[in-house]
Amino acid sequence: MAKEVFYSGCAAAAYGAKDARVEVISSYPIRPYTGIMMELSKLVANGELDAEFVLGEGEHAQVSIAYGASAAGARAYTGSSGVGVVYAMECYSPAAGGRLPCQMAIADRALDPPGDFGSEHTDVMSARDQGWIMGWAESPQEVYDNTIMYYRIGEDHRVQLPQFCCQDGYFVSHIPGKMQMEDQKAVDAFLPAYNPPHPLNPQKPINHGPQIFPDQGSAINVQRAVAFDDVEAVISEVVTDYNKAFGREYSPFVDEYMMDDADICFFLQGGHARTARYAVNHLRKQGVKVGVSRLRFMRPFPTAAVAASLSKVKAVGVIETNTSYGGVTRGGNIAPEARAACYPLDKRPVITSFMAGLGGEIVTLNEFYSMAKVLSDAVKSGKANASYWMNFEKEVLDTHK
Amino acid sequence: MAIEVKTQNLEMAKSLRQVSQEEHYVPGHRTCQGCGPALVYKLVSKATGGNAIFLGPTGCMYVANTSYLCAPFAYPWMHTQITNGGAVASGIEAAYQVLIRKGKYKGELPSIVVMAGDGGAIDIGLQAMSAMMYRGHDALFVMYDNESYANTGIQVSPATPYGANTTFTPPGKNVPEGRVLFPKDAPQLVIGGHPAVHFVATASVAYPVDLINKVRRGLNYKGPSFVHLHAPCPKGWLFPARKTIEVAKLAIQTGMWVNYTWENGEYTYDHTPKEYKPVKEYMKGQYRFNHLSDAHYAKMQAFIDARLKAPGKPVAIPVQGPREQA
Ligand SMILES: Cc1ncc(C[n+]2csc(CCOP(=O)(O)OP(=O)(O)O)c2C)c(N)n1
Ligand code: SF4
Repeated sequence: MAKEVFYSGCAAAAYGAKDARVEVISSYPIRPYTGIMMELSKLVANGELDAEFVLGEGEHAQVSIAYGASAAGARAYTGSSGVGVVYAMECYSPAAGGRLPCQMAIADRALDPPGDFGSEHTDVMSARDQGWIMGWAESPQEVYDNTIMYYRIGEDHRVQLPQFCCQDGYFVSHIPGKMQMEDQKAVDAFLPAYNPPHPLNPQKPINHGPQIFPDQGSAINVQRAVAFDDVEAVISEVVTDYNKAFGREYSPFVDEYMMDDADICFFLQGGHARTARYAVNHLRKQGVKVGVSRLRFMRPFPTAAVAASLSKVKAVGVIETNTSYGGVTRGGNIAPEARAACYPLDKRPVITSFMAGLGGEIVTLNEFYSMAKVLSDAVKSGKANASYWMNFEKEVLDTHK
Repeated sequence: MAIEVKTQNLEMAKSLRQVSQEEHYVPGHRTCQGCGPALVYKLVSKATGGNAIFLGPTGCMYVANTSYLCAPFAYPWMHTQITNGGAVASGIEAAYQVLIRKGKYKGELPSIVVMAGDGGAIDIGLQAMSAMMYRGHDALFVMYDNESYANTGIQVSPATPYGANTTFTPPGKNVPEGRVLFPKDAPQLVIGGHPAVHFVATASVAYPVDLINKVRRGLNYKGPSFVHLHAPCPKGWLFPARKTIEVAKLAIQTGMWVNYTWENGEYTYDHTPKEYKPVKEYMKGQYRFNHLSDAHYAKMQAFIDARLKAPGKPVAIPVQGPREQA
């Protein structure tokens, strides 16, 4: 029977992994994701989950253990935060290039310096071009659901790709919320056992990742690119099935709030969407026609869905929570992608990068109000700066005109 | 819940005649003529037989062996990064443990073999190797030792002997000997700190039956084992390709290489000559040592003499730091 529980994002991820019947888990501590492994180690120790719990000696090893296990034919699970995510960077491409659909739970965290524990998406966003499926959950419920859905997406033979299953550190990973855990039998029916097409098996020898000559490389890259094209269709199928099986209402790619008659919108991923919706409720009372468009997948970037959503408004404020120093907007990484998605539109919204929520800072209601002000002005003038560093307007704004 | 996962039970060979003629390392590779590590591959895969999975960390035995569509491995083989052979092997072993336990894989645990170069074993790959040993995965870690980073053009590794001319330790006016440090002791690194390890051995391509049997004995242990295999590299050491075995034998006759087994705390020695030849005889045959003076040979001889007094025991290696004068 499905049951209602009160879980943090970490616990939700652990129980998602348990219900996905993961078989090899590789761990290494770093806050804030550590809670996931603490929970899983208990489940393994007390026999609730039959899995090998491997104590990795670092994140580089964690990911290597996971993709090795995946190559051998087991469903593999690992995770990390912050500097741990970037320490393992070498291992992302072999996992994706080897088409090994292991999953990595990320509770994101700022990088060093200054050694902040807070949520920031820069850690895993730095790995967004390594060929992994990647997206953020905004609540423990969505963490649990995504954990299960991501395995089915990644293990689909049209896809065969590893997944970064992300949540905001602390805001989601550590704040308990009411959520529904599904019946194991129902999850089993939704997510069949991992069925690798080419496991490492002495009875059927294969070579995995042989050296190639330069003229063979692009053919292999093209296959990966095509697989990534196919991911969108698989995501739509899987999300639709999940909604049907468990009564959820996820849209596959972009979760909209009050967008239909909006003039301006906040565009963002992850847990800050909850604050954004509060801000919208308030602003609506003041007559500001504002909505929220929340990105559920960063990779594959759902270009068409984003364009369709953002084309409804005249000005878009992207709340970045990640940095791209010297990048095209001098802001974060999401605004450039949103701009590119909207470029083919006849009537393009003005798109601005708002640098907010870095290093675990809360994006406050007041900040949302002032962003709404900037966006409303942009609707009138048809123009806005490429980026704003929230709360540093005087010092920083001028340099980003 | 726990069910017995069978490990290997491979028979020892008394002579090469008893070793199967079946090849698992077949034509298709592009290694140099006389390549010692390629011979290691052939012998190790003969030792394991068919029920094996090999892992190839980046190095000559990856790059020169595994050209797409003509790789020479007649068994499942997987590339790993140079950094993570031990970790990927751990993942594979863990997967087999759980798959066998759950009845999803029918059959015995395959021999899982990491074929790492010296760099992939005790330099950049050390952490993953050590952790695999420490956690006790049932896998064999082979360090095929060509005493250099061969694939990237013969740079220095922690296994490179004192006095070698490598592309990162060229002899010059200020550093006449080229390589100033003495090598790390790979087997001692494993023996010294890994309680799960019961079997560590050294062997040489010059003694194939011994090499095959040591691989098998390592695999027959439940848990991790380590074999350190001397594999001369004609391209890197600069000797004629036909002399690989001769060079390997001379290494043993001069004490530059010692074949031994460490099993549950006991050492046994193999192929020890009645009388050791001077190391100079070995070094003279290789261009990488050609620049050395008699004083350098003497320094090497002193190191080898000290090591031979207590083979298999740690030797105070005369490492000279950059800020130290001899
Ligand atoms: C992280 C990383 N750094 C550097 C390299 C470049 N690289 C490729 S092969 C190799 C040498 C491997 O040396 P070794 O492990 O001793 O094996 P050998 O080539 O001698 O067989 C290096 C340094 C790499 N592949 N990955
Ligand atoms: S460089 Fe040395 S190790 Fe590499 S293929 Fe040639 S002989 Fe073998």
